Amino acid sequence: MVKKSLFLMSGLLFITLLWMVPLVSAQAVRGVTDTEILIGQWGPQTGPAAPWGAVARGTDLLVRIINEEGGIHGRKIKYFLRDDSYQPAKTKAIAKEFVEQIGVFAVVGGVGVACGMTARDYLMENKVPWYGPVTGVYNWITPIQKYLFALYPLYDDEAFNLTGYLYEKLGYKKIAMFYQNDDYGKQGVMGVERYLLKKKIKLVEKVSAEVTDRDLSTHALKLKNSGAEAVIMWTMPTHAALILAETAKIGYKPQWATSNTLSDSALMMQITKGLWAGMINSFFGELPDSNHPLMVKYREWHKKLAPQERWGVFYYAGIIFAEPFFEGVRRAGRNLTPETWVKAMETLKNWQGIGPPVTYGPPNTPMDRQGGKHVFYGKVRADGSVERLTDWIQITK
Amino acid sequence: MLAQLIVSGLAVGACYALLALAMVIIYKTSEVLNFAQGEMAMLSTFVAFTLLDAYHVPFHWAALLTFLFAILLGIFFEVVFLRQAKDPTVLGLIIITLGFEMILMGFAGWKWGPDQRSFPFPVSNIETYNFHGLVISKINFWTIVVSLALMFVLFLFFRYTKLGTAMRATQQNPIAARVMGIRTKRILSFTWALSSLIGAVAGMLIAALGILDPPMMMDPLLKGFAAGVLGGMTSLPGTAIGGAILGIIENLFGGYVSLAFKSVVAFAIIVLMLCIKPSGLLARHYVKKV
Repeated sequence: MVKKSLFLMSGLLFITLLWMVPLVSAQAVRGVTDTEILIGQWGPQTGPAAPWGAVARGTDLLVRIINEEGGIHGRKIKYFLRDDSYQPAKTKAIAKEFVEQIGVFAVVGGVGVACGMTARDYLMENKVPWYGPVTGVYNWITPIQKYLFALYPLYDDEAFNLTGYLYEKLGYKKIAMFYQNDDYGKQGVMGVERYLLKKKIKLVEKVSAEVTDRDLSTHALKLKNSGAEAVIMWTMPTHAALILAETAKIGYKPQWATSNTLSDSALMMQITKGLWAGMINSFFGELPDSNHPLMVKYREWHKKLAPQERWGVFYYAGIIFAEPFFEGVRRAGRNLTPETWVKAMETLKNWQGIGPPVTYGPPNTPMDRQGGKHVFYGKVRADGSVERLTDWIQITK
Repeated sequence: MLAQLIVSGLAVGACYALLALAMVIIYKTSEVLNFAQGEMAMLSTFVAFTLLDAYHVPFHWAALLTFLFAILLGIFFEVVFLRQAKDPTVLGLIIITLGFEMILMGFAGWKWGPDQRSFPFPVSNIETYNFHGLVISKINFWTIVVSLALMFVLFLFFRYTKLGTAMRATQQNPIAARVMGIRTKRILSFTWALSSLIGAVAGMLIAALGILDPPMMMDPLLKGFAAGVLGGMTSLPGTAIGGAILGIIENLFGGYVSLAFKSVVAFAIIVLMLCIKPSGLLARHYVKKV
């Protein structure tokens, strides 16, 4: 009787184990099946930061191109885009949905410092690879995270070098700053002040705007009264357009300069009714009409797959933020896991798509997880096109 | 700088006043705060934009067609949403306006997308008038003029026309108004139409001052509400005064105290007014007898 029971129990256990094995193996790598790799991205499709939502749609184009070309190692990419309206609470909920409901392999991109910060620790605790948050702040590389790779050039270094360009190359000594009152704007201020401290001078004025502000007349007056010859702005497109209009109204015309977050010149020219002309911009990707072979290829696919989208910098930035991620997936081979992907990413040395040269290494210092360290400068012409002023400049050492 | 801050404050205050005016008209008639006011104005402005940009309709025709659309939108909302409410309470109706706001925001995002646009307007937002060193942009100047003219016309309308009197009567005592032969349902529809029309004017001016995108009215609406509370939610001249004071206070606070807290001033004023004089500066406080 005992023997019979033992035999029955062993049989049941064996059957259970047999049944479990394929399940465990299917669940072994979240978001990776024999035929698919699941990835997700959040981005503001609505709300005041909506123009930056084009980034997430640009990634969608790259995913579709890869799938049209046969996928990677026999797997097609399945892409999930969610609108967080630039609201951190929504971002956190989306991150949970990605991990707990959809089960993505990785998150790519994601606009917004505050938004990303609500999701960072959660993604890392769950060992979800996150490539290329769409902001250039230290939060992504300090403390250093195994599964988090930053691409965007650091605002601090970008602002530092842009100030240097204005001060040394163009000879502007009285510089003011107009910035968004959050981590994004403040890290821009940090870089500008760091440079000016080196020169033992100060900003002649520092004017901030809240995300929801729509009346910037006082801000414009303060900038004018400062007597600044050049103003560096670190804001979102709405505020950039509003401050240019307000300063124009009161006859104040300094040399403006800004970060690559506002490098979609066509859009900016349109919403500023031409006031964007003369802007000195830093760029972290090829210009829209570039003859770079990859740009030519992407433009062709864009016409075929997403003709409804405007081919602007914000849109194809979505490609820039995803290219190195997929290169890592290629290098990881058929055996794709978070671990193999991380190892593969650490082999990227000066790898370049249409963005800056990208280099990573084993996580010893924060800079080993900071991929993009270069920008170039351009000046917006009256017709909205950009005159390239420099070649790629390394801004992060 | 002081004079310039005041002039700029007056200009932005005129926009707040227009939105407050649109809200006050509804409030005077039905005691409902219309939280969809901003999005109704935004939608009408997008219609104007489409007519101007896609169909190249001359501005005056585009404006007229937009005003017609705004009137129909107001009536549609009142008839299809508010009138259908079962045993409506004021709170219930306010919640309906919140729901309508979300619907309109979603619709605009779907139809026109999230991109920002510049609104074509016949008056330049860069060219200025110079009054003895005091600079005011043409668009700011005309915003003030249009707002004042509209308020004056509405003041005359409410004071001296039969329809205006009927609207006031409907607000003060709907049952008595019905007994006296006033068709209160029609009055309500007309009120929403008028409010939507004024909102459309405000929306077009605000888009011309800045940029056009779905969330463009979020901040102005809140400021308009603050202006209404400050001036008195049942007083038309109160909205003008409230808007002007709010615009000036905001600018002076931003200019001399703190730019970071400039936006907060409006809400501090709401709290202060509700504590000190809940009826606002110019409105009389009605106490309903039980």
